[in-house]
Amino acid sequence: MHRIHLGEFEELVLLLVAVLHGNAYGVSVMEEIEQQTGRSVNISAVHAALRRLEEKGYLRSEWSEATTQRGGRRKRLFDITQAGRAALEQSRDTYLKLWDQIPGFVPKTNMA
Amino acid sequence: MSTAKPPRPPRWADRFLEWYCRPELLEEIQGDAYELFDVRCAEKGPKTARRAFVWDVLRSFRLSTIRKITLQFSPDMYKSNFKIAWRNMAKHKMYSSIKIGGFAIGIAACLLIALFILDELNYDRHYPETGRIYRVVAEMTDGEFAGKGVDFPAPFAKALKDEFPEFEKVARINPNSLFTGGGNPIRRAEATQNTYEEGFTFADQELLDILQIPMVYGDPKHALDEPNTIVITKRKADKYFPNENPVGKTIIANNNTDEPVKIGGVIADFPPNSHLQFDFLITMKGVEFYPGEGNNWNASNYHTYVLLRPGTDIVKLEQKLMPVIVDKYLGINLSKAEVDRVKRTGRIYLQAVPDIHLHSADIHDGMSHGDIRFVWLFGAIAGFILLIAGINFINLSTARSANRAKEVGLRKTVGSTREYLIAQFLSESLLFSAFSFLLGLILAWLLLPYFNQLSGKSLQLPWLSWWFLPSIAVSTILVGLLAGVYPAFYLSSFKPINVLKGNLSKGSKNSSLRSALVVFQFTTSIVLIIGTLVVTRQMNYILNKKLGFEKDQVMLLQGTQTLGDKTQTLKKQLQQLPAVDAVTISDYLPIKGAKRNGNTVWDVKKEQDGNSFGTQFWQVDYDYIHTLGMKMIQGRAFIEAMRSDSQGVIINQSLAKKLNFAQPLGERITNGRQTFNIIGIVEDFHFESMRENIEGMCLVLGNSPNMVAVKLHSDNLQKAVQDISATWKSIAPSQPIRYTFLDDSFAQMYSDVKRIGRICSNFAMLAIIVACLGLFALSTYLAEQRSKEIGIRKVLGASVGSILGMLLQNFLKLVLIALVIAAPLAWYLMQEWLKDFAYRYQIRWDVFVLAGVAVVLISILTIGFHALRSALSNPLDALRSE
Repeated sequence: MHRIHLGEFEELVLLLVAVLHGNAYGVSVMEEIEQQTGRSVNISAVHAALRRLEEKGYLRSEWSEATTQRGGRRKRLFDITQAGRAALEQSRDTYLKLWDQIPGFVPKTNMA
Repeated sequence: MSTAKPPRPPRWADRFLEWYCRPELLEEIQGDAYELFDVRCAEKGPKTARRAFVWDVLRSFRLSTIRKITLQFSPDMYKSNFKIAWRNMAKHKMYSSIKIGGFAIGIAACLLIALFILDELNYDRHYPETGRIYRVVAEMTDGEFAGKGVDFPAPFAKALKDEFPEFEKVARINPNSLFTGGGNPIRRAEATQNTYEEGFTFADQELLDILQIPMVYGDPKHALDEPNTIVITKRKADKYFPNENPVGKTIIANNNTDEPVKIGGVIADFPPNSHLQFDFLITMKGVEFYPGEGNNWNASNYHTYVLLRPGTDIVKLEQKLMPVIVDKYLGINLSKAEVDRVKRTGRIYLQAVPDIHLHSADIHDGMSHGDIRFVWLFGAIAGFILLIAGINFINLSTARSANRAKEVGLRKTVGSTREYLIAQFLSESLLFSAFSFLLGLILAWLLLPYFNQLSGKSLQLPWLSWWFLPSIAVSTILVGLLAGVYPAFYLSSFKPINVLKGNLSKGSKNSSLRSALVVFQFTTSIVLIIGTLVVTRQMNYILNKKLGFEKDQVMLLQGTQTLGDKTQTLKKQLQQLPAVDAVTISDYLPIKGAKRNGNTVWDVKKEQDGNSFGTQFWQVDYDYIHTLGMKMIQGRAFIEAMRSDSQGVIINQSLAKKLNFAQPLGERITNGRQTFNIIGIVEDFHFESMRENIEGMCLVLGNSPNMVAVKLHSDNLQKAVQDISATWKSIAPSQPIRYTFLDDSFAQMYSDVKRIGRICSNFAMLAIIVACLGLFALSTYLAEQRSKEIGIRKVLGASVGSILGMLLQNFLKLVLIALVIAAPLAWYLMQEWLKDFAYRYQIRWDVFVLAGVAVVLISILTIGFHALRSALSNPLDALRSE
């Protein structure tokens, strides 16, 4: 498969869209970034990343129903696509493969 | 939720977002921003939330979010835009040519003045070390010598070099004609015939080191370091030593065969934009103009230039200069009180060489300089002319809007956008601008020789400079857009429904703005006219003021010192001529630039301190007072028979007033070297420019044989000059006669005032022409517009006179308003200008009346033609088509 480059921030956003599962839109992604990583980002950066990811085909979006919130504006809800999932997996595999090659490194296994 | 209004994000930021954001992205971005605003409001309060909202909006302004610019750059569109513009232009030939012609005049004026200003600003920037070269200036704020000067004692330069390590090099020049600087007759050693040359100065070798003027022949390091050497410029070398290397050859100056001077080197000519303009630099090595001069701190004759070491703190250095020089040198022979006074009221500072040309108006240095105020003045005048032309463009475009309104309406109806219409109107004004610039360039090129004459410069259009054509192109676009932007927005704003219904009142809309612009045009023109009148009057006032001496029919023979003993013979022979009234031998003449000799004198009975007065101290002969037609008001002039007159002095009224003797005749005054008896008081006469007050004056008997003044009384001037020339020839066959007339030299003193007057009047004329062009077109147009109204009025019995009055009154009202605004403005400005003169013309009301009548007459003539034509027209022609 043709490898499309995934930037660090893009990867983070892509992961969080997957995590938020059906409730991912600009503000929720931004808040999630802050809570999960402690990083504070501007909404415009999140929008830009979401747009790029959609253009690359890793995300798809649809409009929510309009509510009285948000000045009556609809949310654009994002969901990860098959290609997005594949890109994430590929990225993870690459990293794991590389980690394995570091001598004396014992992978931390999730005990949960 | 409470009933209070919920806080809202800043409206302008929201609008800005809606304005720039792509429609397909707007809902998402705006929605998220609102949501964040609400969240932040709850958490941190509305103030923080608002700020954060603005920040979000600004941060979202990205290339990926902003609308695509909707202008389509299709060449076809532009082709059609320009085609339509061209057709419009060709259809209304008169309006087009007035728009273009007016603009072209404005542009030509701007171009010429820009060249002038560029030239003025580029003086003395060509030396390799320009940034480190300074001229030393002394300033006294108090006392008899208050003012700024650049003359320093001979040992001053060495003292600077010894005391301050900050000076890398210090050089003196002495261009004073007292010491044969200025003009001298010279010849090659082997030649017999002298030629008179000007541009002599004494100079130190260090001057060459500091300025680093390129050398054509000779060693720049040693060209002037031997006694009796001289450096000449390339053009003089070509004149006297064509096709040879003159270094080592000798020339003879002033017939002084005992001390021929050796040429040490040939330098490149000083460029025209250098404040130093010399052709002959004579070394100062081994020169003392009188014994002990090298250590004399009491006579100041040397301009001093310095080269600073890199990184010198000038302010700090300047603070040290005066105290050190006074303590160690100047003040040695002065009393304690005097030293303190000099230190308190005087300072020595450094003037950067590029500043000398434009910023020396208040410095007495005997050179003629430009003046930064004139640079501003001319710049402003050029700007105003361009503005007047621009207003013509705007007024004509909007006035004729009715003609274009249908076009706009129809275009909009068939789907044209406003942007497209603006683009079309702007292309039109660009086309106008391009034509105007082309014509303006041609005009400037044609007028340049005339302008050079006017401004006394030799300017050229810098066609080949890399920046010239690009900046013309940029200006074309800029001027086109600026002049076109208002009409474009105005014309494109018409609503098609109104236009096509015929609701648009014809050309009258926005007439208040148009009137204001016309008033502005005429105010500017009237100010210029009044300014010109005042300058001319001041000029006449000076040239005709009673001067205290007779300047007419006085012939000045120059270079007479070369005759040696025969000068007296010349005088005697000239006195024999029938056309000659009187003859006097003296270098000192009451015109600026003639020889001067400053001295301090005081009453012998009193202390020098506190009682001494700076005066001029002139050596004259017995016939001086008579020849120059001065008037004695007390005592008598010098008499040859009175032996004691060699100890006598004639003082002028202003010195008499300062000395304040009860009975001045017979009192004794001294200049420290000699004591004189006052034998007479002469009426004050102007011996400097009328910018200055008349200072004190002492006339004593003495020999100063450089010039001979001859008073003529003859109707046949030509014959008199022939006779005098013949007499001269018989006495000095090897020396061509050189003469001028005193009144010419006098007029020369005010050539700069004359020049300003001429430049002002020329540009005032241009301004009024451009303004009238606009008025002409505007009135023509409005008369056309009202042709039906006029027709009906005539049918109903209006007389030609009443219609004419109606048409004229509209515009005359504007002109009169302009007059009312312009008169006090011009009065104030001209008062400021006149402050420059100690003796000035009093502005009277008739100047304003004259200017007013002129402007009203010109505008009546301008408007009248068309007004009369429409008033006389047959109403049938106008009404037939209805």
